[in-house]
Amino acid sequence: MAELDPVTLEILNSQFAAAAEEMALTLKRCARSLYVKESTDFGVALVAIDGRLFATPRGYGSASFAHDCTTTIAAVRELEDGDVIITNHPYASGGLVSHTPDLTLIRPYFHAGRIVAYGYDYIHSTDVGGKVPSSISPTSTEVFQEGLLIPPMKLRRAGRPNVDVIELFRANVRTPDLNLHDLDAMLAALDIGARRVERLIAEHGVETFLAGQQAILAYAARKARAALRRIPDGSWDFWDYMDDDALSGVPIRFRVRVTIEDGRVHLDFTGSDPQVAAAYNLPTLGLRHPWLTARIAHFVITHDPSAPLNAGLLDSVTVEVPRGSVLNPEFPAATGVRHAAGYRLNDAVVGALAQAVPHDVPAPSGGTMVPVVLAENDAQTGARNVLVLNAVIVGSGARFGSDGYDGIDGSISSIRNTPAEKSELEAAIDILEYGLRQDSAGAGRWRGGLGLRFAFRVRQPGSYVLGRGLERFRFRPWGMAGGRAGARTRVILNPGTPGERELGKIDMVALADGDVVKFLTPGGGGCGDPFERDVEAVLRDVVSGFVSAACAERDYGVVIHADRVDAAATAARRAARPTVDTMRFDFGAERELWDSVFTDDAMNAFVAALLPLRGNLRTAKRIAVLERIVPGITGPGTGEVSKLLPDPAPQHAEFVAAVERLSRT
Amino acid sequence: MTATIGIDVGGTFTDFVLAAAGRLTHHKEPTRVDTPAEGVADGIAALLRVSDTPPDAVARVVHGTTLGLNALLQRRGARVALVVSRGFGDMLELGRGDLPNSYDYKAPKPVAAVPRERVLEVGARLRPDGGVVLRPDAAELDALAARLRALEVGGIAVSVLNAYLHPALEDEVADALAQRLPGVAMTRAARLWPEIREYERTLVAVLNAMVQPLLDRYYAELERRIGALGVRARLDITTSSGGSMSAANARGRPVDTLLSGPASGAYAAARIASEAGIDRLVAIDMGGTSSDLTLALDGRLAIAHETKLGDFPLMLPAVDMRAIGAGGGSIVWRDAEGVLKVGPRSAGAEPGPVCYKRGGTEPTLTDCFLVAGFIDGERFLGGRIKLACDAATRALAALGFASAEHAAAAALRIATSRMAAEIGKAFARAGHDPRRFTLMPYGGAGPLVATALAEAMGIASIIVPASPATFCALGAALADARRDLARSRRIRIGVDADAGPALAASVAGMEREALAWAADEGGSPRLAVGADMQYPRTAAVLEIAVPEAIWRAGDAAALAEAFHRAHEAAYGFRDAASAIDVTTLRLTVTCPRTPLMQDWVMQARVMKDRAETASATADRRRRVFWRERWLDCAVGAREALAGEHVVSGPAIIEQNDTTTWIAPGWHARLDVLGNLRLARDGGDG
Repeated sequence: MAELDPVTLEILNSQFAAAAEEMALTLKRCARSLYVKESTDFGVALVAIDGRLFATPRGYGSASFAHDCTTTIAAVRELEDGDVIITNHPYASGGLVSHTPDLTLIRPYFHAGRIVAYGYDYIHSTDVGGKVPSSISPTSTEVFQEGLLIPPMKLRRAGRPNVDVIELFRANVRTPDLNLHDLDAMLAALDIGARRVERLIAEHGVETFLAGQQAILAYAARKARAALRRIPDGSWDFWDYMDDDALSGVPIRFRVRVTIEDGRVHLDFTGSDPQVAAAYNLPTLGLRHPWLTARIAHFVITHDPSAPLNAGLLDSVTVEVPRGSVLNPEFPAATGVRHAAGYRLNDAVVGALAQAVPHDVPAPSGGTMVPVVLAENDAQTGARNVLVLNAVIVGSGARFGSDGYDGIDGSISSIRNTPAEKSELEAAIDILEYGLRQDSAGAGRWRGGLGLRFAFRVRQPGSYVLGRGLERFRFRPWGMAGGRAGARTRVILNPGTPGERELGKIDMVALADGDVVKFLTPGGGGCGDPFERDVEAVLRDVVSGFVSAACAERDYGVVIHADRVDAAATAARRAARPTVDTMRFDFGAERELWDSVFTDDAMNAFVAALLPLRGNLRTAKRIAVLERIVPGITGPGTGEVSKLLPDPAPQHAEFVAAVERLSRT
Repeated sequence: MTATIGIDVGGTFTDFVLAAAGRLTHHKEPTRVDTPAEGVADGIAALLRVSDTPPDAVARVVHGTTLGLNALLQRRGARVALVVSRGFGDMLELGRGDLPNSYDYKAPKPVAAVPRERVLEVGARLRPDGGVVLRPDAAELDALAARLRALEVGGIAVSVLNAYLHPALEDEVADALAQRLPGVAMTRAARLWPEIREYERTLVAVLNAMVQPLLDRYYAELERRIGALGVRARLDITTSSGGSMSAANARGRPVDTLLSGPASGAYAAARIASEAGIDRLVAIDMGGTSSDLTLALDGRLAIAHETKLGDFPLMLPAVDMRAIGAGGGSIVWRDAEGVLKVGPRSAGAEPGPVCYKRGGTEPTLTDCFLVAGFIDGERFLGGRIKLACDAATRALAALGFASAEHAAAAALRIATSRMAAEIGKAFARAGHDPRRFTLMPYGGAGPLVATALAEAMGIASIIVPASPATFCALGAALADARRDLARSRRIRIGVDADAGPALAASVAGMEREALAWAADEGGSPRLAVGADMQYPRTAAVLEIAVPEAIWRAGDAAALAEAFHRAHEAAYGFRDAASAIDVTTLRLTVTCPRTPLMQDWVMQARVMKDRAETASATADRRRRVFWRERWLDCAVGAREALAGEHVVSGPAIIEQNDTTTWIAPGWHARLDVLGNLRLARDGGDG
């Protein structure tokens, strides 16, 4: 294909991106549901004839330029002008869809009788049926529980609606009018895409338009390669955990080996746990899935903000994800809450990168995000009233040269919080506090961003609070380069009263009139030796209430009385402490202990032995072995690690023996 | 004879317009950053001199400035404290929990408007129905006042949770503090802008407190200096929503004036378009560092209820302007892959483009305009600045294209296609079809790129006003007195028994406030009422215009029907069985200020500009590099255009503040109001 001149390429660069952005703006304007309007949980793109996304919007919708539409397009034969493909099937779509609420459309764009591009869009739909309202729950065990499954098929044929599909869909979902309206908004966005493609062809000619698709992908690939060459050649391992899998108390491990060679990146997820029974599986189908490569993409865009946002950015990335892994589950494993896995696997990728380029990546954020949902009886109508009080998020990780963002998670920053005044108007509650949680961030020369505290009181009986999928109760967000780990999540009932009680990992909790529930989320991990933190910065944190004086003295070596630094005491305390290894990670005592029993070698062997087993057997065997070695793990959210592993050495020996037995069979 | 003076204090230049007896006089002065009031007074003196106007003939001075905005952006505002409800002291740190760019993890950490140690909590909070949950006693207020005193602040903002509908408790706290801290300015959030959403409302109060001392001093000095010139006129200040108010009123609500400069320019565009009978306008301001876009339908500017002020979300109404990319100073360069780029860096006013010879070494779009022949280096800005074409040519030649002019043309194509792409997004956001719009370029460089933009957008008609580079000053002179009010009160039509009376009572309260304000401003008020409405718990909020008959009578059923109809128009269906929420009521009061617009515009045809344009009447010819080749173009002075004379492209029309490029395939002539109208050949324009 002919090289484009550097002027036409730059013109197409802005025109392609703007076309995608116009699609996104049209979708957002025409849609009605909260997911689209408020949480911007949608995506659009222009797709090249080879199935790769060549233009995506900057700043509108979720980043998903690494998707591959090939399987979905190939699944529907004999496309003609005016056809629109629909799917929400995580497996049949070839990983294009990652959970069932993501209704996805693809429309071929024709010119002079041949396909010259495709339009793509998806939205997180309010409900697609299944066992719970809104369709996803951690405790779903099969994708069949997560709503109607639509394999790739035609929603429109030659411009005319496929009424059978629409009626079947309408009969299977809880909010059909809202859904169908959002589908109309998606179709309107695809229409805009078609018109922009026509205009681009009119301006540049069809051959330049086709060459431009490949040229812009190649341009992004060159820029990405240049940015990735900042990372030295080498190979780095890292792993991180989710607390448990929602159905048992067993943690889920995500392991990655990042190998760099001259700007080429290989991500090997071998050693990650097998697929789980709960809905935490990420259906990548072993492909270079956007959730696996998100941090690599962020790395590139951070270091070259001018790079076009398209699939070319990941051309020099390859992945290895064993079949049957939690990151490559087999049908029909449930995938509804896959973002929790995505969150943690990306922390693992960052941990590997942090060993290669510690100055270039941030420590992890607090690592959890959950909408706090209240179910109550409406005072006026008596009807059941279910609403999100707020999205409880965390602080960002620190990075070399800068503290993390307080109370903001940089990795999911498109979701805005809910004003207390709006929540109080909709529910009979008092929001008592919404602020930053003191001492929650990992200490460091640059500290993590603080986590949140959010407390409310219910003012009528018969209410329930739901907070499904909260994480980091057991293992902390780690610190890097000598920085410390952040605090853990807590949920407390009636704090500061005689009836105070730790609720731990909640699913649904019944509340009495006057009960107070308080959520405390982790801050991000710290970066750099906290004893090297600027004394004035520590003082500012103490005066602001972000760090307690006790913590300042213990973690930072800064002695503060009545908002004044005691210079002599500080100097003495700082001098008395040995220097720390600036390559060191701080995982917190809980994880150090866990890792001493379930060592990397033993876990890798364990996973390798489990993978050949068939679907459900593999999952059941894994739980059975671990529950035998850790008898205290009786259910989700149970147990301090120190209580679960009272005799680490014998427990480790027992685990190694169990793995050996399993490997022989 | 009475005269009105419009002033816009920009970052680099201050523009002046004097309108009197059907005549406009323009004047430009460099902005004196350290002594702005002195600079403005000197400019007024010069303006009176050149227009031969006696000082006592000036009836009104209308002034817009970005001083307050710049102070906030550079964190130079007053040292203020914030008092908020207990449990919400971190409100400014948290904001809404979002970031401008989620891809870039090296984006700088947002800095709160007020540092945390100057935010104090008070045991005062309400329920949405006005029920008091916490009320501070005298001892708590004493202790709070003592802490505030120790902070040595120049202003205090007070914000109580849920006070937007019930301001009494917030007033109680503010009054108690004012009593204990005499002389410290107090801003009450619920009095200033009683709209629901505690962070945004509180931020409005904080920003107000931060700019108040600065602007207070500035207005006072300005009034004194203007008075010293013998001008007895009152001083009015322009607002972010394209209106104006007396300096006395602006001192109480300086936050309303923060975005006034660009808003005034857009207002001038809408007024002129309206006079010219254009009902769908896209106005584009291309200046030195960037370009901005505004839409106006039926002469009414698009107003946004949430805009960005640097990092901060500003919940006040402001003219909806969108940045669309490059300005004349945007730098042209090639990246590591050899791809040609325009911006985002700008040479700004210093060092400026290469051709300014003030030390700039990287070529800019202005250099491209010069090298490609669009502007005349000898006559730029009426000949006041001589441009160095040879230096610009060398800089562009270094980019490695076939020639300097090829590089220039390529950069201009990239810049205009990027702008067109951004314009397309603005239309997509608003849901309009650009092909039915007329384009009005203004700012120094706008008329140079207008035909290229119009072609890219499918726009067939362009209007170039008389003095496009001093629009912000003109807009100030034209501005009506205007005040916007909002009041959040949830009225659930179909559920609340008293929905109708609640509607009537809420608007009546706003009407009283608006009429009192209008009486103070002077003039005959006009009211416009709107309501933010939605089906409960959906995200599709629509702003519905509420006719007077409906709000006076409290006709909730009629309002519900208006919403159903609007929802049908926007989304294709109505949910007839659903209740409907009114969330916020809005009222705008305007007092028309300006005399007949036509008198002013008419004179543009016979405008006698200052001496340096006298030589411009002769027709000349110049080469312009367009679409890969040199074209021989006619060059004429705008002042020399007469009557029905039609100029066919390729041609250039010069005037002392801008140059209009008429591309091949386009033609131009004056309309009866003196605007230059461009249309495509073969079209009906």
